[in-house]
Amino acid sequence: MKMNIENSIKNIFFEAFSNLSESDFSWNKEQKDYENWDSFAQLNLVTLAEAKFDISFTLDEAIEIKSANDLLECVRSHLS
Amino acid sequence: MNIIDSIKNSVKNYPEKTALIFGNDSLTFKDLWKSIESSSSFITSLNGNKIISLMAENSSSFVIFYLGIINSGKTVHLIPPEISEINFRAQISSSNSSSIICSSTVFDKISNFESINIPIFQFNDIPKNIDSKLIDSEVNNFAYLIYTSGTTSAPKGVAVTHSMVNFTTKNIVHILKYTNSDIDVLPLPLYHSFGLGCLHTSLYVGSTIILLKNTNDLQRILNIIKKYNATTFAALPATLSKFLKFNENDLIDYFSSIRLIITNSTKIPIATISNFKKILLNGNLATYYGLTEASRSTFMIFDKNLTNDESVGRPAPNVQIKIINDSDQESETGEIWIKGDNVIETYWEKIFNDKNLVDGWLRTGDLGYVDKNGYLYLLGRSDDVINIGGEKVLPDEIEKIVKQIDGVEDVAAFGIDHEIFGKVIKLHVIKSLDSNLDKSTILHYCIKHLEKYKIPSKIDFVKNLPQTDYGKVKRFMLK
Repeated sequence: MKMNIENSIKNIFFEAFSNLSESDFSWNKEQKDYENWDSFAQLNLVTLAEAKFDISFTLDEAIEIKSANDLLECVRSHLS
Repeated sequence: MNIIDSIKNSVKNYPEKTALIFGNDSLTFKDLWKSIESSSSFITSLNGNKIISLMAENSSSFVIFYLGIINSGKTVHLIPPEISEINFRAQISSSNSSSIICSSTVFDKISNFESINIPIFQFNDIPKNIDSKLIDSEVNNFAYLIYTSGTTSAPKGVAVTHSMVNFTTKNIVHILKYTNSDIDVLPLPLYHSFGLGCLHTSLYVGSTIILLKNTNDLQRILNIIKKYNATTFAALPATLSKFLKFNENDLIDYFSSIRLIITNSTKIPIATISNFKKILLNGNLATYYGLTEASRSTFMIFDKNLTNDESVGRPAPNVQIKIINDSDQESETGEIWIKGDNVIETYWEKIFNDKNLVDGWLRTGDLGYVDKNGYLYLLGRSDDVINIGGEKVLPDEIEKIVKQIDGVEDVAAFGIDHEIFGKVIKLHVIKSLDSNLDKSTILHYCIKHLEKYKIPSKIDFVKNLPQTDYGKVKRFMLK
């Protein structure tokens, strides 16, 4: 299950950032280090995760997501 | 000259010709005129003002009383039979109608409404063969009054004059080449302007109308077309799309006598157009763009040799169209404005005037553009534009993409409030029968095919979408 969540989050990132390669991906890479992580990309990351895991983030949670790891932790907190 | 004069001409020129077939009723022009005169005599005997409400499903009686009311110099207020009680009351009050004439089905429905203070008459209770000498025609500019169903707002009263009807009917006849040898199959509701315009056209040229109650039984429609060697057929785009489930060779055979299928400007799937181009060996599919306030403003005959099938055609003769942007300047893309003798001068209740009517131009609220050859294309409703953090998105664009996904039967895109972006996009999706479609699949597809600000933020699977009778989604009802 743990691996499945991680894989799903990675896939969400690859989906939201079509030019992101496997080697560029890092769990701790931050929003400011992504070339095209703007507010719309943020919205899409949240939407994709909500649809994938059938959960709903609050606005505060959504705003605080600044890395893949943040999204992973946020998803985990909803599934626990 | 009004529609009554056209009937009188037909009665004079070919009294024994069949004018109207409905179920087992078959009326010659002479029979039809006799019934119209009788109903006019009854209308004349009623006290009250010039507005008479007519509320019924399609039938011979509908046609007779519609024309009978006009022949007595009064205005027909057309009420859809399925109307809610609250809207019914609003229309009766706004129209200032003095009587209601209705079918027995409608009578059963509205007689349960409390405090209706005007007389209600069922078709069956009205005496037939009343002496026509009792008719006392008054001078009246207005032929009929319809409250628009409205995709984005509350209904508005639109009173259509005889001269507007005359202008529009002549354009239809001229462009679509109707003649008195046509046999016209008409299953559209007559209480809307599409069906009513078809009725006027048939009466204007003196063709034969085969009136059907509705389009519920597609096989029956095909059988009737075949049986009567019908030459024209009027249908909504959704009906035409449903026909495509039949065997193509069978359709070619059934439609072999048809020279014209007329549909309207609700979005017609391109596949439906291309299929009907193949099916109609001896005819053409055509559409028009118009509103109740500006009927039949453009016409499009889908040509087998042309590829501009997404257009709704070029302006009708003596109708002008211009495209106006947010700065009130003429522009390539923007709101469609219409001017011509088919456009109303005022709404029934004048509160909407300032907004929608400017120096004889009707602001339609529809967005579009005109290509270099003068063909008009529709992009959506200006009221539907979703402003997402400053980015403007048309729902139609999103819907077009989502409809490409396997398992999507229908979809509506609309804006919902968002604390940061102002609005974001939400989808209501109807899944095909037995589809396992999930939200992630829809999002994946959208991400591949749309800009990132156009990706829906919320998706709900629903059983149906609120629609007008013309199949347009009532977005203001979605949330």
